[in-house]
Amino acid sequence: MSTQENSQKLISTEVQVDERTHDGSADTVVSAADLSVYYGDDQALSDVSVDIPEKRVTAIIGPSGCGKSTFLRSINRMNDRISMCRVEGRLQFNGKNVYDDDVDPVALRRRIGQVFQSPNPFPKSIYDNVAYGLRVQGKADDVDLDKEVERALKQAALWDEVKDKLDSFGLDLSGGQQQRLCIARAIAPDPEVVLMDEPTSALDPVAASKIEDLIEDLAETYTVIIVTHNMQQAARISDKTAVFLTGGELVEFDDTATIFEDPDDQRVEDYITGKFG
Amino acid sequence: MARNSYQTQLADLRGEVTAMADTTRSRYDRSLAVLDSGDAEAADWIIEQDEDINQWYLDIESDCIELLALQQPVASDLRFIASSFKIVTDLERVGDLATNLARYGREAAGELVVGADIGPLGDTAGEMVSDAMEAYATDNAELARQVAARDDDLDADCRAASEQVVRHLMMTQQEGDRSVDTAVDDVSRALLTIRDIERIGDHAVNICARTLYMVENDDELIY
Repeated sequence: MSTQENSQKLISTEVQVDERTHDGSADTVVSAADLSVYYGDDQALSDVSVDIPEKRVTAIIGPSGCGKSTFLRSINRMNDRISMCRVEGRLQFNGKNVYDDDVDPVALRRRIGQVFQSPNPFPKSIYDNVAYGLRVQGKADDVDLDKEVERALKQAALWDEVKDKLDSFGLDLSGGQQQRLCIARAIAPDPEVVLMDEPTSALDPVAASKIEDLIEDLAETYTVIIVTHNMQQAARISDKTAVFLTGGELVEFDDTATIFEDPDDQRVEDYITGKFG
Repeated sequence: MARNSYQTQLADLRGEVTAMADTTRSRYDRSLAVLDSGDAEAADWIIEQDEDINQWYLDIESDCIELLALQQPVASDLRFIASSFKIVTDLERVGDLATNLARYGREAAGELVVGADIGPLGDTAGEMVSDAMEAYATDNAELARQVAARDDDLDADCRAASEQVVRHLMMTQQEGDRSVDTAVDDVSRALLTIRDIERIGDHAVNICARTLYMVENDDELIY
């Protein structure tokens, strides 16, 4: 599917995409340019510019209150749900500014799924949790729902554990299984980008390591952007790392190996070595 | 500053590596003295005391592994610990080579020099180790580069000294004032001495290479 076709999917009405909005980079799927986000008078993000490559894991790290989650929410416009939130600058998805008036946030979120900190399955069966997105999108009659549910559960490394109990309540699974169920639910509609906001912080180390393995596998198909407080996790699983510091400033963005071996910015060095914060 | 205990452990590690280097240099200087004097008692002491350096090396290695496992260092901290881990191996080898020199000196009984003045070579190699460790202790990348550059001169001087030793053998044999077996022993010992001094210079270069990586993430001297 071309970049332009992808962009058109975001638009609720037939509006021609302006070619000038494309950044021309085939490897960039999400691109921020001078992005600032305010909650009332408080600035949460300050002139953030970054190009996030497709089908890679990009980690976002930084101290509490630095704007990590705000940046994540700005990608799929979840910030729209927060009153007093104001966005300046550009946030492009496949070359289209997602804050343009002609972009439908609901359509956008179909292309950019999200997994949250605590597992939050719907109070439904395992099967219905995974099928939910496809049904809401009205695709249930167009696709082989059983096949798609199986595909998503396999991609989420959960199929072998639940294939004989798909009618069981999703909330009856263990915490780690519930989080993988939420990942299956997020990827069932086949988005391009999966946003994860501290997806393992509520899990034990074994369950967390399964999620980490899964994230690396998911990056073969999807672009994964993960906010994490766990710097070792960022070092283990991500290809790129963005370091935000207090004031909502993106201080450094580079290959993860570079960030953790030889960062450019002294503030990043101080933060990741524990001399700051 | 956060992680105070961790920062203290890093400072302690640097102090331990530097102290080990000082002791190793001291042993090496004593070995050079034995080359001149042939003092068997001093040679035996150097050889016996090498066990301390070996144990010191193992203790520091253990400290590095513990820091890696428990503190999960990154960036400059990671490079510092990884470099320290490697540098103590070089220091331990310098200690081993110092015991070799002590043995050669004891065997030669004060008459090691066979047509070549080895003393300046030994001093140069020792200064290279000390200066390399000064670069490590003070994060001085420029000094590390300067010390590494001196190794070519040491290598050339060692080659020249080896040639002099061989030439001396041939001349003394012609004069017929020593037995062949004695001459071969003397020359072999002298050549081994020169080789070990040259190797000490190589270890100084290794220390410089790890120091450059530690300070500037520059691996040009490692590969």
